[in-house]
Amino acid sequence: MGTKVIKQIAIYGKGGIGKSTTTSNITAALAEAGYKVMQFGCDPKSDSTNTLRGGDYIPSVLDLLRENARVDAHKAVFEGFAGSYCVEAGGPQPGVGCAGRGIISAFQLLKQQEIFEELDLDIVIFDVLGDVVCGGFAVPVREGIANHVFTISSSDFMAIYAANNLFKGIKTYSDKGGALLGGVIANSINTDFQRAIIDDFVEKTQTQVIEYVPRSLTVTQSELQGKTTIEAAPTSEQAQIYRQLARNIIAHTESKVPSPLDSQELRDWSSDWGRRLIEEETRPRRKARPRRAAALAS
Amino acid sequence: MTIDLNDKPLPPLVKTNSIEQVRYPCSIAAMHSVSAIPRVIPITHCGPGCADKQFVNLAMYNAWQGGGYGGGAVVPSTNASEREVVFGGADRLRELIGATQNILDADLFVVLTGCISDLVGDDVGSVVREFRDAETPVTFAETGGFKGNNFTGHELVARAIIDQYVGPYDGPKQAGLVNVWSLLPYHNPFWRGDLAEIKRILEGAGLTVNILFGQHSGGVAEWKTIPQAQFNLVLSPWLGLDVARHLERTYGQPFLHVPVLPIGAKACADLIRRVVAFAGLDPAPAEAFIAAEERIYYSYLEDFTTFYAEYWWGLPAKFAVLSDSTYNLALTKFLVNQLGLIPALQIITDNPPEEFRPAIEAEYRTIAEDVSTEVEFEEDSYIIHQKLLRTDFGHKPPIIFGTTWERDVAKGLKAPIVEVTFPTTYEVVLSRSHVGYRGALTLLEKIYTTIVSASA
Ligand SMILES: Nc1ncnc2c1ncn2[C@@H]1O[C@H](COP(=O)(O)OP(=O)(O)OP(=O)(O)O)[C@@H](O)[C@H]1O
Ligand SMILES: [Mg+2]
Repeated sequence: MGTKVIKQIAIYGKGGIGKSTTTSNITAALAEAGYKVMQFGCDPKSDSTNTLRGGDYIPSVLDLLRENARVDAHKAVFEGFAGSYCVEAGGPQPGVGCAGRGIISAFQLLKQQEIFEELDLDIVIFDVLGDVVCGGFAVPVREGIANHVFTISSSDFMAIYAANNLFKGIKTYSDKGGALLGGVIANSINTDFQRAIIDDFVEKTQTQVIEYVPRSLTVTQSELQGKTTIEAAPTSEQAQIYRQLARNIIAHTESKVPSPLDSQELRDWSSDWGRRLIEEETRPRRKARPRRAAALAS
Repeated sequence: MTIDLNDKPLPPLVKTNSIEQVRYPCSIAAMHSVSAIPRVIPITHCGPGCADKQFVNLAMYNAWQGGGYGGGAVVPSTNASEREVVFGGADRLRELIGATQNILDADLFVVLTGCISDLVGDDVGSVVREFRDAETPVTFAETGGFKGNNFTGHELVARAIIDQYVGPYDGPKQAGLVNVWSLLPYHNPFWRGDLAEIKRILEGAGLTVNILFGQHSGGVAEWKTIPQAQFNLVLSPWLGLDVARHLERTYGQPFLHVPVLPIGAKACADLIRRVVAFAGLDPAPAEAFIAAEERIYYSYLEDFTTFYAEYWWGLPAKFAVLSDSTYNLALTKFLVNQLGLIPALQIITDNPPEEFRPAIEAEYRTIAEDVSTEVEFEEDSYIIHQKLLRTDFGHKPPIIFGTTWERDVAKGLKAPIVEVTFPTTYEVVLSRSHVGYRGALTLLEKIYTTIVSASA
């Protein structure tokens, strides 16, 4: 085995923001381009890799562990679109046990059995569940696992709050050898205004936007077929955007410590944007009035 | 080894957040409070090693007390592993309780949880409730290590049995029946003999006594009568007060708090008179009991006086007590009031909750009519030993009441040492007692045998 450094990245973001969809498209785009890539779903829902496998659920590492104390980690690795590898960490049923520890156990199992090296992977992408509620879900950003963290956020304030919280977590681990921030994947950005919000946020927190991904019906249609956009609509504009995102991630090398806003700053920042949003929405009416006035005058 | 105090300046004592040579284990060690009740068996729901460690700690290297009928090595454990962490340990616990029901013959099982279950949030209550109709009733107490020490665990266990097993009661009270909350079983190596003597004295005063733990307890049948008692007696500086308050709320039972566990005739008579007054009993039989006990007690003391007066040159004048609060206060009181020794250093090592500390301090300020002393609270043996080394005991070494941890320091000070609390490794204790009338005489024998045998 060579001394190849496996690129390990972790994708975080608010629940339902599009982590699994975006991650699966990145995985698909990289696999299609010939990279050896594994998508590692870190979510007890175990639905991260569905669209890479035609809508199929795969047994998770913890499903295997539940049945048997000794687990052959190979049994948790499944092949997906274009030779990509799919793994789901899994977890306990909601309300019992410790899902955070589950993520740790699942990751350690693969690591102990040197699966990443054996598969000669180029890149592993961790798709981590929405709300990092305890130490277990912070595992991918801790020392020696992911080298880069990307956050997915839309321009919605709740998504930005979640991103800002993640920045705090990254900052906490940053001086302990933890992963640093690669940037923000801006999802569901369809207007200039949405773009301006996210641009302002990354500027304030000293990071960058890796790619702007619009909200698109193609994504929904593909998902309904149990596929990624890359697979279901390979020639679509949205597929091109995901490919560009994948290229940017592969090319990315230097991650940084972000400067999260403190809670007061964040509140001020969002109320400022809230004011502008109201102005934005009321502007057409104000615009209309002079015109009408002009019409009356004529 | 000699320690020259005058040679080099001693470094200042700084409290660190680490503890050297522990003086109490964590709350799951209260599994011993369960097995201290005849025919009641603890079931532990914890990681491998927790139950065994507490057994070895408290019942082996502490006066070699042994496990008894259902304690020690008998205690079933789920031995929770990573799987129980991730998926929760409810299934494993259910399996264990079921198997225990089949194998172990007991009157009551008490499940004690450890850190894993309490952190992960296993719904132990609902698992236990599934055994509602089982042959042997089951109760549970959440005793994860982070809840506190075994003193905390003891109160959690007592409350769990009361709330889940004894249950509601609004029938009549039985005049003269008392529940006694005193020493921590097993932690205090002499608890068995001490509780027996306490029971004997209170019965002598005319009461019917629920002693609740040890050989003289009537087991769960006795616990069932807790709500019928006229009152609760808390016989310790603080342990048991929470339970008594709980019983006051639950069953409307008043309680009497006597901080001093009685050692010797004086303290015993004080206790008996207070209890008799509180219970509204006829004082005549109690006074007759006191008179009869004192006649014997003082006749032995008379014999002892010959030795005490003649051997004065070889006896220590000052003493240090480094122990849990109950024994600390009891010994200090006895040594000052009945032997005329001078208190030089009193350190309480069981980490009493802050709310109880001012009252405990006040007890030491009025230790005798004409003697006032200070007490300190410390858990770290490093600091305790440093304080011992820095105390001025005058021209003769003091006698030290403490634990096995003090052996080396005592040797350095050329001081005789009597081990009285956890860990007491160099004693084998069965029924010996240090309290009451009879125990006080045994204590005198122990103290002065230790002293005179030093020159053997
Ligand atoms: N750019 C997009 N265009 C259209 N639909 C999108 C886009 N991104 C995400 N979605 C849709 O949003 C929904 C939620 O996405 P997804 O499941 O990927 O979110 P998630 O962040 O992984 O959620 P969770 O936190 O629950 O795991 C899906 O139905 C997905 O198809
Ligand atoms: Mg997801």
